[in-house]
Order: sequence, then structure tokens, then C-alpha cells
Amino acid sequence: MSSSSPLLPKQDAREAALFFVVSALCFLAALAGLCARSAYAAADKWTDRVTGEITVRVRGDDAAAARAAMIVSSVPGMQEAHALSREQAEDLLKPWLGAGGVPADLPLPHLIAAEAAPGASGVADSVAKALKAADIDATVDDHVVFSADVARATDSAGLVALAAVALLGATAIAVIAFATHSALLARRDIVEVLHLTGARDGFISSLFERRFMMLGVEAGTSGALLAFAAAAFILFVVKQSDQKIWLLPQLSLSLADGLILGLTPLVAGIAAMLAARVTVLRSLSEML
Amino acid sequence: MRERDDSLDEPAVRFDRISLSYGPETDVLSDVSMSLAPGSMTFLTGPSGAGKSTLLKLAYLALRPTAGRVSLFGVDTGRLKRPGLANLRRRIGVVFQEFRLLDHLTAYENAALPLRVAGDHERRYRDDVVELLRWVGLGDRMDAKPATLSGGEKQRVAIARAVVVKPDLIIADEPTGSVDDDMGDRLMRLFRELNKRLNTTLLIATHDLAMVRKSNADVLRLADGMVVRQPAMAMPEAGAGSETQ
Repeated sequence: MSSSSPLLPKQDAREAALFFVVSALCFLAALAGLCARSAYAAADKWTDRVTGEITVRVRGDDAAAARAAMIVSSVPGMQEAHALSREQAEDLLKPWLGAGGVPADLPLPHLIAAEAAPGASGVADSVAKALKAADIDATVDDHVVFSADVARATDSAGLVALAAVALLGATAIAVIAFATHSALLARRDIVEVLHLTGARDGFISSLFERRFMMLGVEAGTSGALLAFAAAAFILFVVKQSDQKIWLLPQLSLSLADGLILGLTPLVAGIAAMLAARVTVLRSLSEML
Repeated sequence: MRERDDSLDEPAVRFDRISLSYGPETDVLSDVSMSLAPGSMTFLTGPSGAGKSTLLKLAYLALRPTAGRVSLFGVDTGRLKRPGLANLRRRIGVVFQEFRLLDHLTAYENAALPLRVAGDHERRYRDDVVELLRWVGLGDRMDAKPATLSGGEKQRVAIARAVVVKPDLIIADEPTGSVDDDMGDRLMRLFRELNKRLNTTLLIATHDLAMVRKSNADVLRLADGMVVRQPAMAMPEAGAGSETQ
């Protein structure tokens, strides 16, 4: 014989139900985390693409556009500038009007695509001043408004997702605290005997902490695996539809996504352990 | 050999004007004062419902008095913080009336529980626990779970658990209530051995007046919330040696 039996009885039906609830919460939290990350990643991607790009719309004839292109390219801090041909301008309209959808007699604005040198600042203002000095009627757009809108939208989406993660996490902690309290009540006889045989509060608490930490880790792993499966399914759907589903989150299952999924069981385990510790110590403090 | 502990010169248990009530008009104990000398053996008698179990609970630190002071080994328990109370409890072996064995543990694991709680390694205590269980007649029941044990066997496991740490104070609530006379005598002999050899203080609540008379130990009689000390020989002989109401 040996004292190998755990001092707390093995898990019962209540803990199986708790495992299911915590798994579901971890699944939703991990998925929300993946969505938050993808929102920020998409924002970075979109804003990176337009950062430094300047578009100049020239009102006037071809000669004015050519002169404007020369002026723009000579502005300090400008890396490259060229006037777009009519074909290039039509290409920009293709996503909306389709190939060949632009009537030949439709007047298109004269556009100059320019790119400022990396790190150069205030180039758009210099371009606007130079064009005004040359008496060319033009509008300069450095996409700041677009970038700000994108950043605002993705920041909001990211914050909502992070709030969902926080809410789900808090719910999981509350559920575990409630379950710990129930477990403590159900095993009050055991706790009292341990208490009266000289067990310190930390010793009794550690029994529940270990139990609920393992439950958190296992439920977190299960939730993370389900979230991985859901993300993989979304990726599969996106790929099958030739990446034209714009409304679906742009999930990638990158290293950062792996980190979120990997951290889910760890965070769930630690949260469960802390919830159990606080609950048990608070309950024990009511005993002499 | 145990090191000398100065606290053992102090009364093992001392109640100073203890009162305990569960409500405005439900006084269980009222202004009770008593002390148990270290190494003494004392029986606590009294009719059912007199508050014997409550008095024992105060002594093994399961209850806090409504008024008064409980001191163990010279330490005012009301001044102790939780770790200090836990340390004090490790010096007390308790035999609960309803045994309070842990159902999912074997007889051996139940008996070894205080040692496990104290952080001892099993290789250091295994032989002692086995020997103790053999001594109380449970050598062949060590792997049995409480559900498969008889009332007497459970009681013996509970007693083994109480004495396994060789405590300075043993508090027992009807420790021989569920065993036959032979086993009762044997268990009382175990208590007396601990009392003589290790100077363990014993406080035993019982209805068995015959056993009290045989022991020639001190007797505290509890009735109407008050405690009266009387010699064992003064206990009534009538009624086949049992005090029950």
C-alpha cells in the first residue's frame, strides 16, 4: 500500500460540465484573438501599401499633366513620379466597371502616381506648393485620410475583438470561481478533516489549484484546437472562393496566430489556478 | 526521543470563562473554566446534548467561543494567526464521533493522513503506520476503503489517524462507542500507553461510566452548560455503567 491516492477525489460530472463550458469559452476567446490580430494585420497591410504614395489629379490638358509630372518629380524628397496613361487609368476602374467597361469618349482625370522617398516628410505639401507656384490646377492626395479611416476602422474592429477576449476571459474566470466554490462545498467534509489535521490554507488551496489548473490547460487546449480548426476552415473557404470573400476575417495561421493558440491553454490554466486559489482561500478564511 | 518543549509545562488545555451560544437564547456553554494538566488523562461525561462535543470542538480548534479564552499548551489561541493555529492543530490528535474518514482513501491512507499533511515522506512513516494498523487489528484491511469497513473498523482507523503523529494532546469523542468490549479495552490500553510513555494529554468524551471507573482518571462532568470536576470513583455505578438520555 502507499499514499498515492490524490487527497481530492477524481473529477466528477460537475467538472466534466465545467470542462465543456471552459473549452467553449476558450474556443471563442481564441477565435476572437485571431480576429483581433487579423484586423490589426489587415490595417498594417493596407496602410503600408499607401504610405509614401502620392496621387496628383491634374485638371487640364495632356500638356499640363506632363508639366505637372516634371514638377512633381523635381520636388525634394520625391523618389519617383510619372503620369498615368489612359490605359493605366482605365485599369484602376476595372474592379468597378469591368474590362472594357470604360467608354472611349469618357473623360478620365489626368493622374500622376508619385512615391516619396522612405522617411521623407511633408512631401505632399511641397508638391502642392510647387504646382500652385507653377499655376497648375491640381489636387494632391497623400492618402492620409484613407489611411486614417482604415486605421480607425481596424482599430475599432480590433478593440471590439479584444473586448470580446477580455469578456470571455472574465466569464471563464467567474465560471471557474463559481465551480471551485461548488467543489469546495461538495468536498467540505474533506477540507474540514484536512484543516483539523493541521493542513495549512496554502496546502488545501494547492490541491484545488492543481486540479483546476489542469482543467484549465486541458479545456484551453481543446478550445485552441477547435479555434485552429475553425480558422483553417475559414482559410479553406477563402482559398476555394479565390480570396474574393472580403467580409471574412483575413486569417492566415501565421506565427502570431500560433502564439495566440499556444497561449490559450497557458492563460486558461493560470486563470483557472488563480480563480481557484482566491476562492479557496476566501472560503477557508471563514473557518477558524 | 523527543526534545523537551517548555510549553508542555503549561496546562495542555485551559478554558477561561468560556461561553458559547448559537443564538440569543441558545447557550450551549456558559462561563466554563477548566484546565487539563500536561500528561493527564481526563474523561468528559454528561448527558446527551449537554455540550460535550461542543466543548471538544472548542478544544480542538474547530469552534471559536462567543466569550472567554481557550489556551492550548500555554498559547492563547485567540491571538494566533492561521499558520499558528495550523501548527497547534498538528499537536492534537482528534477522534471524531462520526469518524470522518475520507471515503476515497484506503484505511492506510486515512491513518497516514496527518503525516502526509505535515509533509513527511512516505518512506519514513510507512512502517510505523503499518505497525499501528496491525496493532489495532487492521493488518489485513489496510487497502480497504471506508465504505467496506464495519463501524468498529472505521473507529479503529480514526483512532490510528489520531495517534499516528504521537500528538501532545488527544481529544476523542466516544472512541470506543462502536467497538466490542475487548477492542474497547485494547484501544483504551493504547491511549494509556501514549499517556504514560509520551506524556500525551488525553481528553475523552464518553457515556461509558464503567470504563471511566476502571480508568481511575480525572472526570469532568458537563451538565446545564457547566463543568464540574469529580474523581472517577465518584461516578455512579448504577445503570450498567452507561449514561444516556
